Amino acid sequence: MIIADKNTKAVGLVRAALDKAKEYEDYHCFISMNEARALDRAREIDERIAKGEKVGRLAGVPYAIKDNYLSPEGVTTAASRMLDNFPSPITATAVAKLEAEGAIMIGRANLDSYAHGSSTENSYFGPTLNARDKERVAGGSSGGSAAAVALGIVPFALGSDTGGSIRQPASYNGVWGMKPTYGTVSRYGVVAMASSLDTMGCIANNAEDVDLIMSIIAGKDPKDSTTLDDFWTRELEDAKPKKKTIGIIKDFLKDGVDPEVSKTVLSYANKMKKAGYEVEEISMPIMKYGLAIYYIIQPAEVASNLSRYDGIRYGHRAAEITDLDSIYGKTRDEGFMPENKRRIMVGNFVLSSGFFDAYYLKAQKARTLLINAYNEAFEKYDALLCAVAPAPAFKLGEKTDDPLQMYMEDMMSVLANLAGLPAVAIPAGESESGLPIGVQLIGPRKSDQVLLNIAKNVEENA
Amino acid sequence: MAITRKDVLHLAELSNLRLSEDQIEPLIKDLDNIVGYISQLDELDTDGVEPTYQCFDMQNVWREDVIEEFEANREDLLNLTVESEDHQIKVPKVL
Amino acid sequence: MSKSDYKMTIGIECHVQLNTKTKLFSAVDNDAVDKEPNSCVSPIDYALPGMLPVLNKAAIEKCVRAGLAMNCKINLVSRFDRKHYYYPDLPKGYQISQMYQPIIGAGEVHLPDGSSVKIDHAHLEEDAAKLTHFGNYSLVDLNRVGTPLLEIVTDLPGMSSAAQARLYCEELHRLMIYAGVTNGDLYQGNMRFDVNVSVSKTDKLGTRTETKNLNSFRSVERMIEYESARQISVLEKGGEIIQETRGWNDATGKTTAQRNKENAQDYRYMPEPDVPPVVLEQSYVDKVEANMPMMPDEYRSKFGVLNLDNSEREAILNYPILAKRLNEVLDKGGVQLAPRVAHWFSGVLLAEENLDKDFTLATANELTELSEMVEKKELSSTGAKAILMEMYDRKNTQKTPHQLAKEMNLLQENDEDALGVIIDEVLTAPECAKAAEDVRNGEMKAIGFLVGQVMKKSKGKANPATVNELIKKKLS
Repeated sequence: MIIADKNTKAVGLVRAALDKAKEYEDYHCFISMNEARALDRAREIDERIAKGEKVGRLAGVPYAIKDNYLSPEGVTTAASRMLDNFPSPITATAVAKLEAEGAIMIGRANLDSYAHGSSTENSYFGPTLNARDKERVAGGSSGGSAAAVALGIVPFALGSDTGGSIRQPASYNGVWGMKPTYGTVSRYGVVAMASSLDTMGCIANNAEDVDLIMSIIAGKDPKDSTTLDDFWTRELEDAKPKKKTIGIIKDFLKDGVDPEVSKTVLSYANKMKKAGYEVEEISMPIMKYGLAIYYIIQPAEVASNLSRYDGIRYGHRAAEITDLDSIYGKTRDEGFMPENKRRIMVGNFVLSSGFFDAYYLKAQKARTLLINAYNEAFEKYDALLCAVAPAPAFKLGEKTDDPLQMYMEDMMSVLANLAGLPAVAIPAGESESGLPIGVQLIGPRKSDQVLLNIAKNVEENA
Repeated sequence: MAITRKDVLHLAELSNLRLSEDQIEPLIKDLDNIVGYISQLDELDTDGVEPTYQCFDMQNVWREDVIEEFEANREDLLNLTVESEDHQIKVPKVL
Repeated sequence: MSKSDYKMTIGIECHVQLNTKTKLFSAVDNDAVDKEPNSCVSPIDYALPGMLPVLNKAAIEKCVRAGLAMNCKINLVSRFDRKHYYYPDLPKGYQISQMYQPIIGAGEVHLPDGSSVKIDHAHLEEDAAKLTHFGNYSLVDLNRVGTPLLEIVTDLPGMSSAAQARLYCEELHRLMIYAGVTNGDLYQGNMRFDVNVSVSKTDKLGTRTETKNLNSFRSVERMIEYESARQISVLEKGGEIIQETRGWNDATGKTTAQRNKENAQDYRYMPEPDVPPVVLEQSYVDKVEANMPMMPDEYRSKFGVLNLDNSEREAILNYPILAKRLNEVLDKGGVQLAPRVAHWFSGVLLAEENLDKDFTLATANELTELSEMVEKKELSSTGAKAILMEMYDRKNTQKTPHQLAKEMNLLQENDEDALGVIIDEVLTAPECAKAAEDVRNGEMKAIGFLVGQVMKKSKGKANPATVNELIKKKLS
């Protein structure tokens, strides 16, 4: 990642990024650009550098935000019609922290509407194309962020991960994606999806960049009562694993997982052995229930969090409103995408009287069993290894008619969210057709830097 | 359980969605598939297991009772609404 | 069949607005009285995307105080839940409340008439917005959104008469005021009552109706009287009661069925993921308890020795500062001096037309001194009352009752020599000769005239009793 200094001008870095963004416009990584202001800030930063002022650890570095991060420049849409006219007066904590270090937001990356999806095809503004193959999806929901980094438009981008939304697109586009421990980065100013699962993280090109960016955006925020005390404080080299033992989740090497993907996981395991790690298979039967647990808890919280979008105080309001019911009913029908509606309705189903215990409560109990299984595994292993997604990027439109097939994409990624664990997606290989395949390392809470240390170590020693 | 047209209409009302007819049929199928899938949790024995609502051990996260300044004031906020009058948000008659 | 054959069962949910400086989950001004619409609103209250609640610690302490005031169990672990419904008064589309683990558990409120009412629990939640309705539109003012509300829910057997229900509401109001958790201004909606009423001739409870948002003790009482009578007449006509929400019209004195979805409402309660649980130490609760002021019940038992009648005692208890003063006077002056002060409070101070006085002005020492002066005959009771009113005037805060008596020239003359002189003048005065003669001849009723003359000469400062004695002596 290139930082601006006396010789490397911020204006140059930002200009280059904006040009690349234009060059790759057809990939539709961005919903809106922040050109004028970005260039102004770059000039200002160059002046400060010229004056010899201390500008920050990310001086002049251009970056993209997923368009569910609130920021006063332009409009925050969450890729929805509901918010396509919403000029936020608020700045998300993570964005404020990056700007304070001299980073420059050049544009708002595309996503599935309200981050509901695994392909960015649910965006009100149309899908983002895969950086390697325009016929294929960029993944989701942080598809725009991942493709923008993979295409070299920006060295890093912010994303949000509720069930894999950072890791899966990172893996589809061959870049790194960090989903931190729940509570590591403030959720303040990010359009909420599922509050007990939402985590804010980044997509970048290597472990060092991820570590630097996360160390900046991590930390306690009085505006988010669920943030942890800042633990992202070590040098990456110092965050060494204690046991140097890794468990491969056996249950995710066969049924429902593409052989090419399993092959990649096993070859990464061999790399780890070469790097001096003890790697063995571990069976975690509870894992196969992860997706069912997730698709109860997540829609419930989605239904609740999307209740505030009613056309009354901000955002879209349906035309020719005569009565109150139509303000709500018509506005929400027009403002939400089909997938938003499906999740809201499933959520209201599992929360509705008569079904709460059988679905919602049951899922929260199963969640406890899942967490227990992890805790047990971590007594033996520093981290667990599995693929991010069951297959490489799929073709545009391939799964849009079958929501459940789309959900299956998340079967391995939702687990870390349900348990609040850190997980890093690492580019690990390619399919025969040249599509990127990523693996993920999942560790105990707050072991985020250890995971990055291991990944970096494996890369250097294998 | 199987999701019927009646269920979808009820859920649409609970969700405050005024769905056009053409949306209903596909929703019956989709929701039925999804509910069918998540129902597999029935297999799992969770007797005596405590539910996890928040996967962290935080408690008593609170602030002192002191007035603070916010990024957005009344005008910033009311400017976001479609209709306002006398510094209030205007909505169709509430019965 | 008559009304008396029916047993009435009343349950009350009381919403108390807590008087914290800031709102329950956002650090904006919680006091919207006389403020412009939407001037006490943060992005959190406005429910912008990405906004998160941050709990106000002070609201928790006030809940603990309120709970202790009602002799309730304080739940050391409590959590928040989301209650969902769509209405323009609810920006988030859900209200943060406590469905499963409320902060206050079961308890019992003792009423002045000796009866008591069981409390099921009380939970902490957010208040909603104020809507004003016009021709074909309504306006939304979010100032009240997020104000901490304590909802106090009674348990069975509940209350059995309109009068008892009113007593309960009044006592609850007193308790919350004494505990210092609310401003208690009913006109401002600081306390609002939702009342369930059912009637039955058997031990099996009848179908209940709920009437919401009553904001005066009187309307609670009147509503229950009307609603119970209505239910009985329906049943007597062979009809049946529909479980429904009804509205109270204070002007017509009637309840009417309300058209609303409430009855079919499914709130889809869900644990609030944005607010970590509240876990209190018993030692903290003990500390709060140690700092609680005396409660009405303690005053009642202590004031027993004063033999006040109930209405007099309760009138004083309505003003915590007067109860406190009376209690201090009782400690200093005992049953000798305290009852007089109690009568002054209820009969003089509170009989005033406009009660805009600052009741803190007169100290216990001053009140005791004033009572003592009357006891020692240094003051007539009329004089004392005049001084009492002066004591509640800011300009007199530096003056003792004695100084005021002097200034106002109200000190009574008890000096026998001085009085003797005046009496001799009177007795020798021609116009009094006849009366004096009569008294000498034992016609004692004539003495009144002579005493009157002396009082006139002494400009009211003479102590009539003393004068009476002296005249008798001189004329015997």
